[in-house]
Amino acid sequence: MKRQSAAFLMTALLLVAAAPRLATARNVDLSTVPRRDTVQLTIYNSEDLTLVREMRTLTFKKGLNGLQFSWANTLIDPSSVEIRFLSHADTLDLLDTTYPHDKPQMLSWNVVSEFDGDAVVEITYFTSGITWSADYLLTSDADEKTLSFEGFVRVTNNSGEDYEQAQVRLVVGTINLVEKIAQLARIRMDQVAQLESSKREELRRSVARDAMRMPQPSMSPGVTGSFAMAAPEEKKIIKEGLSEYFIFRIPGTETIPNGWSKRLRAIDAKQVPFKVQYRYRPAQYGDQLVRMYLFTNDVPSRLGSAPLPDGVIRVFRLNGRDGLSYLAQQDTKYIPIGDKVEVNLGPDPEVIFELIKLRAYRDNIWMQVHGANVFRRVDDGAVDIEVNSSVTGWDDHEVFTQRIRNYTAKPIEVEVRRSFSGHVDFRSSLPGVKLFDFQTVEFTTPVAAGKKADCLFEILRHQGRNSKQNNITLVNAEIFIP
Amino acid sequence: MRKHPLSLFSAGFALIATAGLLWPVAASARIKLITLPLRERVEIQLDHPNATLVEEERVVPLVKTIRAEEPNQVDFSWANTAIDPETIVFRVIGPAEGGRNAGMDVKVLSVSYPPNEQALVWQVAASQSGAARVRISYILGNLSKSFNYRAVAANDEQTLMLSQYMRLQNFANEEFLSNFDADKGANLWAGWGRKFTRPVGINETKEMLVEKFARVPVRKTYTCNPAEFDYLDRPQNKLRVPMHYVLKNDKANNLGAGPLPFGKVRIFIEPKDPKDLAMSATFLGEDWGRFTPLDDEMKLYLGVAQDIVVTRTIDKSDRRRVAGNLYDHEVVIKYEIENFKDKPVVLDIQENLRYVRREIPNVGDTGRDVQWKILPATDLEGGVDKEKSTFEDVLFHIPLPARDTSGKAEKRVRKLHILFHNEW
Repeated sequence: MKRQSAAFLMTALLLVAAAPRLATARNVDLSTVPRRDTVQLTIYNSEDLTLVREMRTLTFKKGLNGLQFSWANTLIDPSSVEIRFLSHADTLDLLDTTYPHDKPQMLSWNVVSEFDGDAVVEITYFTSGITWSADYLLTSDADEKTLSFEGFVRVTNNSGEDYEQAQVRLVVGTINLVEKIAQLARIRMDQVAQLESSKREELRRSVARDAMRMPQPSMSPGVTGSFAMAAPEEKKIIKEGLSEYFIFRIPGTETIPNGWSKRLRAIDAKQVPFKVQYRYRPAQYGDQLVRMYLFTNDVPSRLGSAPLPDGVIRVFRLNGRDGLSYLAQQDTKYIPIGDKVEVNLGPDPEVIFELIKLRAYRDNIWMQVHGANVFRRVDDGAVDIEVNSSVTGWDDHEVFTQRIRNYTAKPIEVEVRRSFSGHVDFRSSLPGVKLFDFQTVEFTTPVAAGKKADCLFEILRHQGRNSKQNNITLVNAEIFIP
Repeated sequence: MRKHPLSLFSAGFALIATAGLLWPVAASARIKLITLPLRERVEIQLDHPNATLVEEERVVPLVKTIRAEEPNQVDFSWANTAIDPETIVFRVIGPAEGGRNAGMDVKVLSVSYPPNEQALVWQVAASQSGAARVRISYILGNLSKSFNYRAVAANDEQTLMLSQYMRLQNFANEEFLSNFDADKGANLWAGWGRKFTRPVGINETKEMLVEKFARVPVRKTYTCNPAEFDYLDRPQNKLRVPMHYVLKNDKANNLGAGPLPFGKVRIFIEPKDPKDLAMSATFLGEDWGRFTPLDDEMKLYLGVAQDIVVTRTIDKSDRRRVAGNLYDHEVVIKYEIENFKDKPVVLDIQENLRYVRREIPNVGDTGRDVQWKILPATDLEGGVDKEKSTFEDVLFHIPLPARDTSGKAEKRVRKLHILFHNEW
């Protein structure tokens, strides 16, 4: 049963009989309320923005016709309201759009018609209070070789009013808005040029949209009938690319009462192959070794049908006892088709990651004689060192081991990135060591199950006047611990 | 029912013509025999960026001036409306229609400004009694205009239809309606495009379509510039890659009717099949369109191209002493670029070298202009775009292939080698 809400006015479209000066409400003599045929919502997830498209059939008289469009207690951006003639476009002409100052939530169109009869019009406008988000459910098998990947979209209705039988489209992507729709919707048309910001909390409060009520079935042929018969099949969301964005189209129509959310499955992939890697990247994951699930959003991985919108990932693993273990939850950014998916599961208590300093010493020490521009090296053995001199340059040597203890039952791969500022030589014989950038070293090492790995390296840091650069040089050298 | 003409001046102006014998009298006690010439026509000229010029045309009855000391008094007054009195101009167009006015010669002798009144009085001499057509123009405040645009791109994003709207905001406390036709009103003109004849009520905002440009070619650009657009994900060194639509305002590109004024541009895109009711025009984004003179380009930022992933790192930073504390710095910037779109694109890589210099440790912003040279080891395709690069900005255009059918994108690694000269 349709809920009645008496506390607000309907969004109304009035067709006014042709009369002089139809642009102002005071001259309205007669009005009829044309029925609404379809409503479509296009909801954006990067902004609080929904594009509403209504189609109605209006009756026009030959000559000048006045149309009045009004709304109350509703966040509609008045500067976005547009009318388009879908039929008889060549015999209908929009003269102007008028926004009366004394009626802030209303506008009028003056339309000249060359015929008497019906025409289908499309009215579009922006509103706010309806949002959508994505979330993902990953369930790994017990061996951590493949996972099932489910993606969901959730439409949340905080508009203050029920949505019944609306066509729903969701847009994936980051659009640019120069003015927030909710700000525009709160001000009169004449104040568009002088905006004031509104609190976000107030924007969500009591947005009522009777326009979303659908007294008539949708125009989508076939689907409404099967929906009305309680079709047993889960809806398959259709995904299409459009310019920089993707549209997730929900077939048929949806009913979402006020305050409710509706969650639909958008992606369902089984046996997605993935890799487990351990990473130490302080700039990204903090000062800790984390475990990652890595896979790709592509066809060989049984994905790749659409990009993955920003959302929340929850990861579980089958525990081999018909149960699940909860592993992690993280936010994810948009992942294009073909790009890598990297899920951070956090530290693994069964893998211990330690940096142990084994040795430290200094050499290549230079002294400057006081009061003179004379420099002498201390340890060359053949020089008398002045008492009145000070150290001006030296090299610091630090020998480290990156120790990794793997107490899991499987071999693991560990990638380490470490940054060093200043003029540094990174000396090691680690296989595959490379520079990630001019101040960051990267190396990868396997660690067998139940074993420990020691990655030895030496940091030679040139200090004082010995420092000529601000970068790292890789030096291939065996490191020995005395 | 025709309204009494006096009601047209409820908050606005009064134009009164009086017989000459009633002058001179002190302004506060001026006695007037009132005839109120109707507004025959009103033109609202909106072609000036900051001022609105109103021109009224009226037919004014005049009495033959026998002595210069007793001319006709044409009294113009206003209340509660922001007319700039210094801009009021009274022009005699000529005798009104009708045989009895033929040959009438009308001259404006002087203008008087009564004290403590928003009014002025023209002393007008007429060679014979009759009616003359006059035009009074003035700058009117609180009657302003702005522009906005609606662009609908074809589905292939090669062209778009650009509709330009003018929004007139009337807070001048005056309405502009026709005395003779309720649907008419003032003649409105923005300086180009269509002219409108529409009624404009008090405190009304009215929007009208000025011009519609069909099949305007669009150039779609993808640009990464860390100085201007920052990073999308700084810990991962991923750059933000905004997408722009670029329109050129000239006739070859189906524009060029005049400069495009500043205004908000909202861009939509058609569905693949225009008959597809389920896929109506989709909103792509909006941006402020800057004032664009003829032959210039309007660049509109729509949103972020998330399917083009560019990772930028400083691969090398070496310092070489020239003398004393004078150094040269060699910097290599590495780009790892993947195009996950199903179409090939061209990526614009733009670097502000002052920004790059700030990234060099121990150099930072010295306040001096950068002195730089691109080294031959640079492998960005095509080299620097010399036309669009400046003394501190360099621009490259990198073609990228589409991803393959399985979704895999080719990762292209490119390096920009720069030598910064003479830094201290």
